[in-house]
Amino acid sequence: MSDIGIKLIYWDRVLEAGFWILLTLFFYYLALRIQRALGGTPLANPVLLASAPIIALLSAADIWVGDYQMGGQALIWLLGPATVGLAVPLYRNFARVRSALVPMAVSLVVGSAVAVLSAVLIGDAMGASLETVRSLAPKSVTTPIAMGIAEEIGGYASLTAAFVIITGIIGAVFGAMFFNFCRISDARARGFAMGIAAHGIGTARAFQEDEVSGTFSGVAMALNGIVTALILPLLWLAFAG
Amino acid sequence: MRAFSRLALAFLVLVACDTAGRVIVWGLSLPVPGTVVGILILLAAIVALRRVPEPLKEMVEFLLAHLNFFYIPAGVGVMAYAALLADDLWPILIALFASTFLAMFAAGLAFQVVARFTGGKGDGA
Repeated sequence: MSDIGIKLIYWDRVLEAGFWILLTLFFYYLALRIQRALGGTPLANPVLLASAPIIALLSAADIWVGDYQMGGQALIWLLGPATVGLAVPLYRNFARVRSALVPMAVSLVVGSAVAVLSAVLIGDAMGASLETVRSLAPKSVTTPIAMGIAEEIGGYASLTAAFVIITGIIGAVFGAMFFNFCRISDARARGFAMGIAAHGIGTARAFQEDEVSGTFSGVAMALNGIVTALILPLLWLAFAG
Repeated sequence: MRAFSRLALAFLVLVACDTAGRVIVWGLSLPVPGTVVGILILLAAIVALRRVPEPLKEMVEFLLAHLNFFYIPAGVGVMAYAALLADDLWPILIALFASTFLAMFAAGLAFQVVARFTGGKGDGA
């Protein structure tokens, strides 16, 4: 196409993005192998196990993370269609979900309030800056919503994005152990709580365990995102504004 | 080859639902993510069909089993904020750990206790 003087496709960029996607796939495959070798334990979280060596590699080679994200953006975009698939387990478990509307509503209200308030109060008590505390508030909500909320209440959207991911990994890694410790044994409760506290990364883990947990986790993630987006900025204005 | 093209079609259905959801949310400036609307669109389509087509089922089960893969770039992205995180490292880590555990405890306990009273059928693990 270069003969008409306009480049329609930047092949070098496509190749570079493809390289980063393949690298990500390679480390994901390794992470899965490690997790399986360890009996599928949530402690060997694939997001953590795969992103750590990529971060190390980029730092060692002095490569800007933005270069990596040329490929990363494509995967982040694919998260949309993959998440839409939640409709299928939701359909299959529709009766289960419908019969649990009351526990879901109570858990949603209690869980989203605790997720926000505890992050704000603990961050403040530990002496974090005001901007950090504001960025902490929406940390349990899925990334795009959390970033929007952070901006509305005067936090840093980019900092919030990092908090959201770390929160998701904490929930995915320790959730099952913690639920066992607290004697929370109902698969629906475990999944729903995972989705409230640890959004999509928690949901990804819940689907590794069983479909009921995964379904309730996905529903909780969506509901918590909506509820927090609607209520948190109003509460913030009323009490801290 | 035929199975492959059906799987590809299933994937395109997912992309179409997601895109439609994003467009609707953008057009009506709704305060929800487009993907959530996309889930509802696909759910409505499945309810209308009264069954999940086999290739869609296979594609979705594959994607959901590997949902972690799509979060790796976000994990790598945390690196970009390392300097900002370092400013308040301990308050941040303590707040994130404690708050995540508290939220899981509160949400899980609330669900389990209320489910016991409302008599919903529990799926003990």
